[in-house]
Amino acid sequence: MESSSRITVTQREQSMVMSDVKMMYEIYASVPPKTQRLMMELQRDNHMEYLLRGLQQLGPSFCVLDANRPWICYWILHSIALLGQSVDAALEDRTIDFLSRCQGPDGGYAGGPGQMPHLATTYAAVNALITLGSDKSLWSIDRGKMYTFLKHMKDPSGAFRMHDEGEIDVRACYTAISVASMLNILDDDLVHNVGNYILSCQTHEGGIAGEPGSEAHGGYTFCGLATMILINEVNRLDLAALIDWVVFRQGVEGGFQGRANKLVDGCYSFWQGGVFALLQRFHSIIGERLTQSGPGEAEYHIDSPEATPESDISEGKESSDGTSSEGDEACHFQPGGSQNAPCPVNFDNVGFVSSEGLAEREPLFHSIALQRYILLCSQDPGGGLKDKPRKSRDYYHTCYCLSGLSVCQYSWLKDEDASPLPRAVLGPHSNLLEPIHPIFNVVLDRYREAHEFFSRS
Amino acid sequence: MHGRPRKPSKPEDEAASAAKAQKLRALQSQFLHNHHNNIYTKEAVDLSAKLLEINPESYTAWNYRKLALEHNLSQSESDSDSFKSLLDEELIVVENALRQNFKSYGAWHHRKWVLSKGHSSADHELRLLDKFQKADSRNFHAWNYRRFVAALMNRSEEDELKYTEDMINNNFSNYSAWHNRSVLLSNLLKKKSEGFQKEKVLPEEYEFVHQALFTDPDDQSGWFYHLWLLDQTVKVDSPLLVSSWPANGSDLVLSGDRHLGDSASSLLTSFHSDSRTFPLILYFNQAVHGVNSSTVTVDYEFNTSKDLIWEPISINNSQTAQVWVTKLNYPNVELHALKEYQVEVSLGHDWGIVSSSGFHYSHPSCYTFKVCLKLAETDPTEELGGEIISWRDENFCIYKTDSQESSPAVSLDQLSIKSDNDLSASEWRVAAIANEIDHFRELLSLINCKIGKLTLARLLMAHDAMMHSSGNKVAHFEEVLELYSDLMKLDPSHIRYYKEEHSLVSMQQVTSSQESLLRHCFCYEDLNCSYIGNPICLRLNNLSLSRIGSFEKLLWVRMLDLSHNDLSSIEGLEAMQLLSCLNLSSNKLGSFTALEPLRLLKSLRVLNISYNEIGAHSIDTTRYLCSSPLSHSIGNKWNLGETAIDDDIKNYWEAYFILKGLKLTQLDLLGNAVADETFKLFVIKVLPALKWLDGEKMC
Repeated sequence: MESSSRITVTQREQSMVMSDVKMMYEIYASVPPKTQRLMMELQRDNHMEYLLRGLQQLGPSFCVLDANRPWICYWILHSIALLGQSVDAALEDRTIDFLSRCQGPDGGYAGGPGQMPHLATTYAAVNALITLGSDKSLWSIDRGKMYTFLKHMKDPSGAFRMHDEGEIDVRACYTAISVASMLNILDDDLVHNVGNYILSCQTHEGGIAGEPGSEAHGGYTFCGLATMILINEVNRLDLAALIDWVVFRQGVEGGFQGRANKLVDGCYSFWQGGVFALLQRFHSIIGERLTQSGPGEAEYHIDSPEATPESDISEGKESSDGTSSEGDEACHFQPGGSQNAPCPVNFDNVGFVSSEGLAEREPLFHSIALQRYILLCSQDPGGGLKDKPRKSRDYYHTCYCLSGLSVCQYSWLKDEDASPLPRAVLGPHSNLLEPIHPIFNVVLDRYREAHEFFSRS
Repeated sequence: MHGRPRKPSKPEDEAASAAKAQKLRALQSQFLHNHHNNIYTKEAVDLSAKLLEINPESYTAWNYRKLALEHNLSQSESDSDSFKSLLDEELIVVENALRQNFKSYGAWHHRKWVLSKGHSSADHELRLLDKFQKADSRNFHAWNYRRFVAALMNRSEEDELKYTEDMINNNFSNYSAWHNRSVLLSNLLKKKSEGFQKEKVLPEEYEFVHQALFTDPDDQSGWFYHLWLLDQTVKVDSPLLVSSWPANGSDLVLSGDRHLGDSASSLLTSFHSDSRTFPLILYFNQAVHGVNSSTVTVDYEFNTSKDLIWEPISINNSQTAQVWVTKLNYPNVELHALKEYQVEVSLGHDWGIVSSSGFHYSHPSCYTFKVCLKLAETDPTEELGGEIISWRDENFCIYKTDSQESSPAVSLDQLSIKSDNDLSASEWRVAAIANEIDHFRELLSLINCKIGKLTLARLLMAHDAMMHSSGNKVAHFEEVLELYSDLMKLDPSHIRYYKEEHSLVSMQQVTSSQESLLRHCFCYEDLNCSYIGNPICLRLNNLSLSRIGSFEKLLWVRMLDLSHNDLSSIEGLEAMQLLSCLNLSSNKLGSFTALEPLRLLKSLRVLNISYNEIGAHSIDTTRYLCSSPLSHSIGNKWNLGETAIDDDIKNYWEAYFILKGLKLTQLDLLGNAVADETFKLFVIKVLPALKWLDGEKMC
């Protein structure tokens, strides 16, 4: 063991990030209110400019040559949609054309024209086309071939491969099931045994790993949970342990880390924050699915308009100084609980969860602290969002920081159609983004239109 | 998806990046041409390597190389040297690509594919991994690959364990190494490998993790590992029967009517029922399935039926539950009233009872109790709910027991169902926990550390639980309660969690001995009150409880007062199957779904939920996870067509869902936002047996 006088690399990095974040918050605290308002403002115009510049490059002389071009389309288009904007008709046409050229002759979308179809880029392409939303855009997806492609990606074990001969992991399962569900082609064959694979990836920590034996990870936890909800097997997960795990990924900085004892990163605002949105919303999602599939009864409201959540959402200010660092991420694991089994199929935990945390009436994460982190530490005032201070902006982080911000702003609502309370939105009201569908991460209205489109045809 | 394309960020890089893009575009189109035309010449294959070196994410190129390799292998001489050199070349390409981006899914996957062809050297792979894992010790691709290599090469888990030790010694904050250590040890312990018995390994591991914890108590990684160790120390794999009703050794007096025969002397042990059946309740330490008439033998001379129907008490209708109930018929030999009959219950004689994590009930257990039938004249015309139950303090007086009488607490410890084997096996556990307690007391004497306090509280409770099961009565309740009170002050942002733990410890303290339990037992004033049957009320009011527990000690309770606490959930209450009167007033219950356990309390007649917060919150997060008509766990049992009050159900389905199966005669709702006149009318329709609503008699 290292001598006690030397701190570990991990600790040095962590304390650097904490002092960066602390400095941001101290600057914020020391400036006049007018400057504070400006700092807390989402720089919409600059973000739009940054995003549109990225899309221009999507033209015929596409200069970024890599295997992820549909992702860039999705990150940018989704970010634009979150800001409540859309792209002009010419750009939309070019994007549809481009993505059509990525569509494989046997279904699915590749990272670029001529490449092999890949599940991740298929997910990105489908989400991008749904975000564009026009009939032309939705018609461009070959659903029949898509089904063939998804079947082809399905491994005999039940899990999915990313591509032909590719790796099997939780990401592949999520992207396959998400696409199938969006396009209304999900059936029992595709669902068969996927749940067993996801279960085998839930670790004793409570979160979900990318593959069996690995450690729990934010991105995979989102993917695994969303998949289980879509295939209606979420109760098989140890949800109590999962909540314990994800609750303690939010650090003193306000943002989320992806794994235990890792640094905060803005993109987990969505991957971890989205897990809370899923846990809080999947009930209504299940309701939605039942109304589609039969004469189920999904209309219920206990409206009491005067009632607002009681606790003071500004209480989190005390934690914003970023000074205290504790190992208390460990606090809420239950000793002797059901987290032991590597593959807990525990139906009984669903009831247990309610008293573990969900009995609370506010979101289970600190929504205001996360918004503060996104706006002050992840925002590049010149446009675009990023991982953390000292890092540079990119489209990936712009997309997932904004998605996380939207999740925060709507996290106090029981009803996805209501407007968020002013207190739930940090900064000026112009910061309010469009709501998303947390399972697919597309803007809710676009999801609904696409859903209706694919139910019709 | 994270860590995928890195895009140039500075404008001055743009010229360079444009040139790079130009080069890539040329490579890419040439490569695609080769790929689409199945060209596998050396030149073509080399070109794909160049592409991959620049862009390791190009999965199409990786697949092209797989096809090319297969093609070239089939063309080449079948001697193993040329075979090996082709594979080695692949490995070099992957290595170069990983140097460019060692988070590349495609590159790592390709390497696995090459390795599975054979002819590779484990040492070489491990050396490469050492290099990568030094550069990025948390890279999960590398850890996954390491596990793959170890499995493929049959590298022993002991060796891998040693590797995690080295990694931890190098940087004890490396949580990935700690995590892999827990995975490896789990496997070794499960397999019972040579030298890997829990009693040997766990104490050593505690020593190991202490170095990290005491070097820097602020670092998280070691604490997670310590938590895992504690869990490994205390958890009992196989399910165990922990209590029952009727309890072991108890004498049960059965009567067929509501009037108790004579005095209060048998208040706690009497039972009455119109249906001339009484329940038999089994409470396990964890949820189990497979409880049925062949796995549980009930021998009783007055009834020969072997086909008892066992029912799991589970709020989501699963066949796995911690509590199981069956019904036994009264002895049908009324002439021999007052004769005592012995009932013997035994289980564990075969392996049919299995925990949800797959462990079998493996120790045969057996217990007995006596029943005696007492007949009394009855007035069958008297109606249920004729009188109102009032929870006012003046209606209760402290329960006094004479020493001879069996009180609820007497039977608590009688159900000692354990084998000698268990006792001896747990000695090391007690020693390990005691040792940890000493260490953490010492740590806390030096520094004020939240996680240290929490760990000490957990260790003390684990210690008490072990000592209790071996018959010792050293309890640390006061110390633990103080630790949690401290934590509430020190760490207010997690106050709810500490408060819940505090509540659970308080309940354990109350139920820990006969004396402490009796302090909470009261007699309801009207002993003749017709339908309580057993007017001993357990009063746990005004204790600031935010969570309830210790149900295994409370199976006998029929009247329970939990009013004036901070409960927002009553989860677990479904275990108290005999409950007929329940006071939950003045708590923080926020919705009807928070009352879901009540659905399973078929004996419940009197319920007070007044002065809660039902209907007061726009967000009801409990219901997202609770079974509802829309959730598949209930499925088609929900039939809206069965009733004519559809419209109200739409508005109040949560209330309907909880109340519809109950035969309540008395309900208090006052002081909840939901309780307006419309709702009251709805309740009256749903509960036809209701006699009293908010203190007013129904006509």
